[in-house]
Amino acid sequence: MTQAIEHLTSDTLSAFIDGEVPDGEQEANQQHLAGCYACALRALSAVELKAATARTGRCFAPPPETLARLTAQIHREPWGSARIHSIGRIAWSSLAAAMILAVSLLGWRQLHETNTIAAELLDQHLATLSSAATPQVISTDRHTVKPWFQGRLPFSFNLLDAQALPPGTTLKGADLSYLNGQPAALLLFTIHKHEVSVFLTQRFGGPSLTALPGTRSGFTIHSATTQDLSIVAVSDVNPADLDALLAALVHAQSPF
Amino acid sequence: MFRSEALLGVPIQFRGSIQRETLDNIVSTSGSADFEQLALPLLPSLYNHAFWLTRNHAEAEDLVQETFSKALRAFDSFQADTNFKGWIFRILRNTFFTSRTGIAESRTVFLEDHPHALDTTDTSPTPEDQLIRLDKQAALQRALEQLEPALREALLLCDVEEVKYRDIALILDVPIGTAMSRISRARRALRQLLQRQLGESQ
Repeated sequence: MTQAIEHLTSDTLSAFIDGEVPDGEQEANQQHLAGCYACALRALSAVELKAATARTGRCFAPPPETLARLTAQIHREPWGSARIHSIGRIAWSSLAAAMILAVSLLGWRQLHETNTIAAELLDQHLATLSSAATPQVISTDRHTVKPWFQGRLPFSFNLLDAQALPPGTTLKGADLSYLNGQPAALLLFTIHKHEVSVFLTQRFGGPSLTALPGTRSGFTIHSATTQDLSIVAVSDVNPADLDALLAALVHAQSPF
Repeated sequence: MFRSEALLGVPIQFRGSIQRETLDNIVSTSGSADFEQLALPLLPSLYNHAFWLTRNHAEAEDLVQETFSKALRAFDSFQADTNFKGWIFRILRNTFFTSRTGIAESRTVFLEDHPHALDTTDTSPTPEDQLIRLDKQAALQRALEQLEPALREALLLCDVEEVKYRDIALILDVPIGTAMSRISRARRALRQLLQRQLGESQ
């Protein structure tokens, strides 16, 4: 007697790729997928669609001004007596005053913002220097480090092969990080014996890295931009070596 | 268990559930400093979700701002070991559905209980047909925009925000089976929209 093949239903397949199938059914589904070409192909396709949806669905970043306003709201909102404002009403009623104020404060804000970001960069770099700080992904292989960020960041980037890195430079691993409230890839390198933190964020919608101080507390902070990315590196290594690494990373984003 | 009926008059209950890799979303002690610590990392996610709901930057900002205000007011009733992300996303959603845009959208009846009315059933494509080239991000974004809002919302919570089905059900205020069904239907509908788009472009 032959038994008709019962393929996985769409709901089951969907739950399977989300890791939501009850424990008791998981093994049976895996066995079916191991022997059913059609369902295995559907599962592969569903995983690809899920990963692509994760990337595409995270496409609306708050503009820097919005981010600053919302962050400030969290900081200043009085505990237990929060007020509800309408940005639209406030914007219209105080437009003229805001414009004058904005012009006069523009220079100060930029300086303040960049100082804040520089402090954040240095804090995060110092945290990576702790012996207890273990990267979330530990690998010298770009084919391990880059895919680890899939689904974790709303953007992608290229990494270099070990032999394409400047002499004495080694990739150690990476962390998912946040810079000025924006998701960032934190790549950890060593140049000779110096630790280097490299932050990659989206250029548009990400923090402004122009006018960053070149040094802070003895550490060098250098940045570069590509068409889509902002890249900033922090280390106590020779600035020329840091620039070489930055240049290599910039080149890797548009190798052709 | 968290319970607050102060928010929009809607009882909200979250049982102690640690969702995947979100230990940073777990409250250790209460206080405004904790709120900052929990809410700030979620700001980009909340804004992104708010934009998908409102389709407008100013409204998305207003929505996130109002969500923070309500969440802050209710935070003293938020208890340890509960899912902060699910909690604040539900506040965001409830706030949206009391806004002008949200009320207008809620008038659109979603045929949840009439699955046959939704043309998202499989049309028996070959397995090879199921594989869609997903390097066309613009096509996928268009398809997501065309998706029925109720399906899109469930799918984004699952795929973008990595929220578990159980918590998606709590956020959407639907049974877990409905949440699961919406996600599955969303994927089928998305696939059909993509196949239609990519077929037209060939």
